Amino acid sequence: MTLLDQKKAPAATPPGPPGPTGFAAWLRDLALGIRFAAGGGREGWIRTALTAVGVGLGVALLVTAASAPHLLEERSARSQARAESAVPGGPDARAAKTDTSVLRVNAETEYRGRTIDGWLMRADGTRPALPPGVARFPAADEMVVSPALKELLDSSEGALLRERLPNRITGTIADSGLVSPGDLVYYAGSDTLTPDNGGHRIAGYGDPSEGEEMPPVLIVLIIMICVVLLVPVAIFIVTAVRFGGDRRDRRLAALRLVGTDIRMTRRIAAGEALFGALLGLLIGAVLFLVGRQFVGHIEMWNVSVFPSDLVPDLRLTALVVVAVPLTAVVVTLAAMRSVVIEPLGVVRGGRNRRRRVWWRLLMPAAGLAVLGLTGRVDEYSPVNPYPIAGGAVLVLVGLALLLPWLIEACVNRLNGGPVPWQLAIRRLQLSSGAASRAVSGITVAVAGAVALQMLFAAVGDEFTRMTGQDPSRAQFYTFSEKVDPGAANRTIEQFKATKGVKRVIGKVEVYVTRPGKFSGDDVRPTTSLIVGDCGTLRELAQIDSCKDGDTFVVHPRNDKEMSNWVDQTARKGKEVEIGAGLGGKPMRWTLPADSPTVTVRRDPMGEDSWGIMATTGAIDPTTLPGAMTQSQIRVDQSVPDVAEYVRNTAARIDPAMRVSSLTSVARDEKYASVQRGLQVGATLTLLLIAAAMLVSQLEQLRERKRLLSVLVAFGTRRSTLGWSVLWQTAVPVVIGLVVAIAGGLGLGAALIAMLDKEVTDWWLFLPMTGAGAALILLVTLVSLPSLWRMMRPEGLRTE
Amino acid sequence: MIPVGSLLSADSLHKAYGQTPALDGASFSIHPGEVVAVMGPSGSGKSTLLHCLAGIVTPDRGTITYAGRELSAMSDAERSALRRTEFGFVFQFGQLVPELTCVENVALPLRLAGAKRKEAERTARHWLERLEVDDVAAKRPGEVSGGQGQRVAVARSLAGSPKVIFADEPTGALDSLNGERVMQLLTEAARSTNVAVVLVTHEARVAAYSDRDVTVRDGRTRDLEHAV
Repeated sequence: MTLLDQKKAPAATPPGPPGPTGFAAWLRDLALGIRFAAGGGREGWIRTALTAVGVGLGVALLVTAASAPHLLEERSARSQARAESAVPGGPDARAAKTDTSVLRVNAETEYRGRTIDGWLMRADGTRPALPPGVARFPAADEMVVSPALKELLDSSEGALLRERLPNRITGTIADSGLVSPGDLVYYAGSDTLTPDNGGHRIAGYGDPSEGEEMPPVLIVLIIMICVVLLVPVAIFIVTAVRFGGDRRDRRLAALRLVGTDIRMTRRIAAGEALFGALLGLLIGAVLFLVGRQFVGHIEMWNVSVFPSDLVPDLRLTALVVVAVPLTAVVVTLAAMRSVVIEPLGVVRGGRNRRRRVWWRLLMPAAGLAVLGLTGRVDEYSPVNPYPIAGGAVLVLVGLALLLPWLIEACVNRLNGGPVPWQLAIRRLQLSSGAASRAVSGITVAVAGAVALQMLFAAVGDEFTRMTGQDPSRAQFYTFSEKVDPGAANRTIEQFKATKGVKRVIGKVEVYVTRPGKFSGDDVRPTTSLIVGDCGTLRELAQIDSCKDGDTFVVHPRNDKEMSNWVDQTARKGKEVEIGAGLGGKPMRWTLPADSPTVTVRRDPMGEDSWGIMATTGAIDPTTLPGAMTQSQIRVDQSVPDVAEYVRNTAARIDPAMRVSSLTSVARDEKYASVQRGLQVGATLTLLLIAAAMLVSQLEQLRERKRLLSVLVAFGTRRSTLGWSVLWQTAVPVVIGLVVAIAGGLGLGAALIAMLDKEVTDWWLFLPMTGAGAALILLVTLVSLPSLWRMMRPEGLRTE
Repeated sequence: MIPVGSLLSADSLHKAYGQTPALDGASFSIHPGEVVAVMGPSGSGKSTLLHCLAGIVTPDRGTITYAGRELSAMSDAERSALRRTEFGFVFQFGQLVPELTCVENVALPLRLAGAKRKEAERTARHWLERLEVDDVAAKRPGEVSGGQGQRVAVARSLAGSPKVIFADEPTGALDSLNGERVMQLLTEAARSTNVAVVLVTHEARVAAYSDRDVTVRDGRTRDLEHAV
C-alpha cells in the first residue's frame, strides 16, 4: 500500500445555486458592467470618461434649455416691473401730480450698435416713486446706471458715450431693476423737465397686465427652434454613449472566454454605458452649476443672463435624469446587436447585416403626415405645440435613421480612385456606422436650420416692413419737442459743425391756420409752415430756383383735393396764423404774393411735407411759437464713430432728443429677438456637434494608431493619410448634407404650408450647408495634429 | 567603418527613449541577398535597431549607410521615399489595412510608389500566388487566418521589388507550423530575388533560416557567423 493508494478522489464540488434570471439577471449584468467600467483600469476609464464628458456636455445643454421657461418668466416680470404703472381711466388718462409722482421722458440712445435705455426724471414731490433696483432718486446732474453701463462708461471704449451722459454717477441699479446683467440702463435727474418740453407724468412703476401674446407664427418658429436645437443634442448624447465602443468590445471578448453568453455580454456592455451615462449626468450637473456661476459674465449677441434666472424646470429635469441613462442602455443594446464578440479575444468586424430602408422611411413619413394633418395655423386660434414639435422631431430623427442606410448604399457603389480615396472608401465600406453617427448630428442640425430659414423667410414679411426711408440720402433723423426760441437754428448749426456730418436737412415746422371765424361744423383750414435754408427746401420740394428770402406753396403729387386744402390756408398775399391753440394770441404772418407753387419731393425719411415752405430770410424761425425741430443728417460713413458724434451733439442740444438711424427695412422686435435666440442656440449646438465629431475622429485615429505607424513605416506620405482622413470625413458629410437639404426643404415646405404661406426662396439652404461644410473642414484640420502624432514610429513599439 | 560590399550598414548607433537607452553603440551590416537574424531578449533593443536601419527612427548618434548614402543626412521625405521604393516590411501583427482586401493590401506599396491600380494589383496577385494565398485575394484581413494574413504581409513586403526587407518578429503570432512555412516562403523568395532580409526574432528556430545572427544585448550588438 502506498500513500497514493490512500489518496481519495476529491469530492465533486456541489453545484452552485442557479444564477439569477429575468430582471435579477439584468441587474446583475448591469452592475457587473458598472464594476468593469469603474475598475477596468486606464482603458476602461478612458472609455467611461469619453462617454461621461460627452453625455455631460449634452446634459448641461438640456438642463440649460429646461431653464428657459423660468428664465423668460423672470425676465418678463422684471421688464414689467420697471414699466410705468397704469393710471385708472383708460389709456389716455394722465397721472395726477402728487408727492410721489414723477415727470420723465425717454432718453434712449444707441452706442456702437447697442441700445441704451435711459430716462430723464424729475420728482414732483418729496417722496418720488423709485424705479426697481434704484435706492435713491437722482438729483439734477446725477444719474444711476446699470453695472454694465458703469463698466462701459468707466472704460476707454465708453469715452464717447461719457460725453453724452456727463451726469455724475451716484449709484448703480440693482439686479431687480435689470432684465439681464448686460443691460445698459440709466436714470438721470433733471431740474428743467416740464410737461411742455416732453415730460410725461407717471404715478409709479409696475405693469401688472399680461404681456402681449406672441403671434401664432412666432410660436411655431420658437417650437421649431427648440426642436432643431435639441434634437441634435439628443443625437449627440446617443453618439457619446457609444464612444470607445471598439475598445470595450475587445475587453468583452475576454468575458466570453470565461463563459458569459451573448445576452450577458450585451447587458454588461449596457452596464458600462450606464455607468458612463450616470457619470455624465453628474458631470452635466456640475457643468451646469459651475457654468451658471459664470453665465452672468458671458454675453453673446448682446444676450446675457442672470445666474439666478437659470433654474431648470423640475419636470423637464426629471425627464433628462431618467431618459439619459435609459437611452444609454437601449442604445448600447441596439448597437451590440451588430457586433459579434467571440470568446477567443476576436471581435469579428466582418460584414454587418445589410441595413434595410423601409422602416427607416416610416419615421420621417409619419412626421410629415403629422404635420400635414395638424391643419392650418391662423392668427385667431391658439397653437397646439405638440403635433408641430412631434412631427418635426419625427422628421428630423427619421433623417438621422435614414443616414446610415444611405451612406452604406452610396459608399458600396464607390470604387477606384487614388490611394487616399481608396483607403477612405474601403474604410467606410467596412464600417460606416461610426461615420454615420458622427454626421447625424450635423445632418439634423442643418436640416432643421434649413427648414427654419425657410420659415423665417416665408413669415418675414409679417414682421418686417419697408419704411420708405432712403439711407443713401441721409443716415440719421432727429426730432425734438424742445420749443424754446432759437433751438431750431441752434440744432441745425450744431449738427452742421459735428465731425463727419456732410449735410443737414434741418427744418423747423409749425402748424399754420387760416385766420377768421369758423362755425362749429366747419373745420379750420390748417397746413404746415416749414422753415429751412434753400438746401433743405430743395430736399423737400421740387424747387428750381431758390434764394434766401423766398417762400413757396408746396402741393402734394397728383392729389388735387389735398392741394385745394393747402390752398385754403396758403393764400398768396394773405395772412396765416401761427400758434393758434397754444394759448395766447397767435402770431400773424403774410405769405408773399409772389410765392411760386411747386410740387413736393419725398424726403429721405420717405415722407412728403406740403404746405408753406419759407427760407430763414423770409421768416425768423426763432420767433415761431410751438415749433418742432427735425433734422435729417447725412454723414461721411468712413469717419469712425460718426454715429456717436451725431448722438453726442443731439444729447448736448437736448438730452431728450430722439436720434434714429434711417433704414429701408424695419424688423419687429419680437421677431428679431427670436432670431437672436436662434443664433445663440445654433452656435452652442454647432459647437457641441463639432466636439462630438472631433472626439469621434480622434477615437478612430487612436484605434488605428499602430496601423498608421505601419503605413508610415513603409513610406506612406503624411499627405496621403491626411487626404484619406479628409475623404473619410467628407464623403459621409456630403451625403449627410444632401439628406439634410432634402429633409430640410421638405420639412420647411410642410411647415410653411401649415402656416398657409408660400415658399419664397428655395436656395436658403446654401448658407447653412456652407456652415456645415466649414465645420467639417475645421474638425479635420483640428484632428490633423493628432493624426501626425499617431503616425510617429513610436506606434510600432510593442514592448 | 563600412564593410566592403555591404548594402546597408550601421556603426556605433546610440538611441535613448527618455532616460532609457535602447541602443548603446550598436553596429550592423548586411549584404544583398543575405538574411541576417537580429536576436536578443525582450527589451534588448533589437526592434529599435531595425527601426533605425529602416529610417523609421533617427538614431541619436552613429551612422547608417544604405547603398553608399548616409541615412541620417536624408530628410524625412527622402527617407519615406526610400522606404516606399527600396524597403519592404513585415511586422508581427496589426500591419494589414483592415478595410482593404488582401490583394489591395499587397498592391498598396506599389500604388504609393505611383503604379496604376490594375498594374499594381496584377503584381500583387503574382506575389499572393507565390506565397500560396491567392485564394484569399478578395478577402479582407479580418476574414483570413493569422498564417494567411502573415503570408499576405510577406507578399506585400516583396511586391514593391525592395532591396531590403525588414521583418520584425514575423512569426511571433503564429503557431510553429505556420511560422515555419512563412519563414520558408519569405527566405526563399528573398534569396531568389537577391533581397536582403533583416529578421528580428527571439526564436532560435526562426533565426535558423538566416545566413548570419547578430545578437543584441543591452543595446550592443555581437556578430555571429552562422552556417545554414
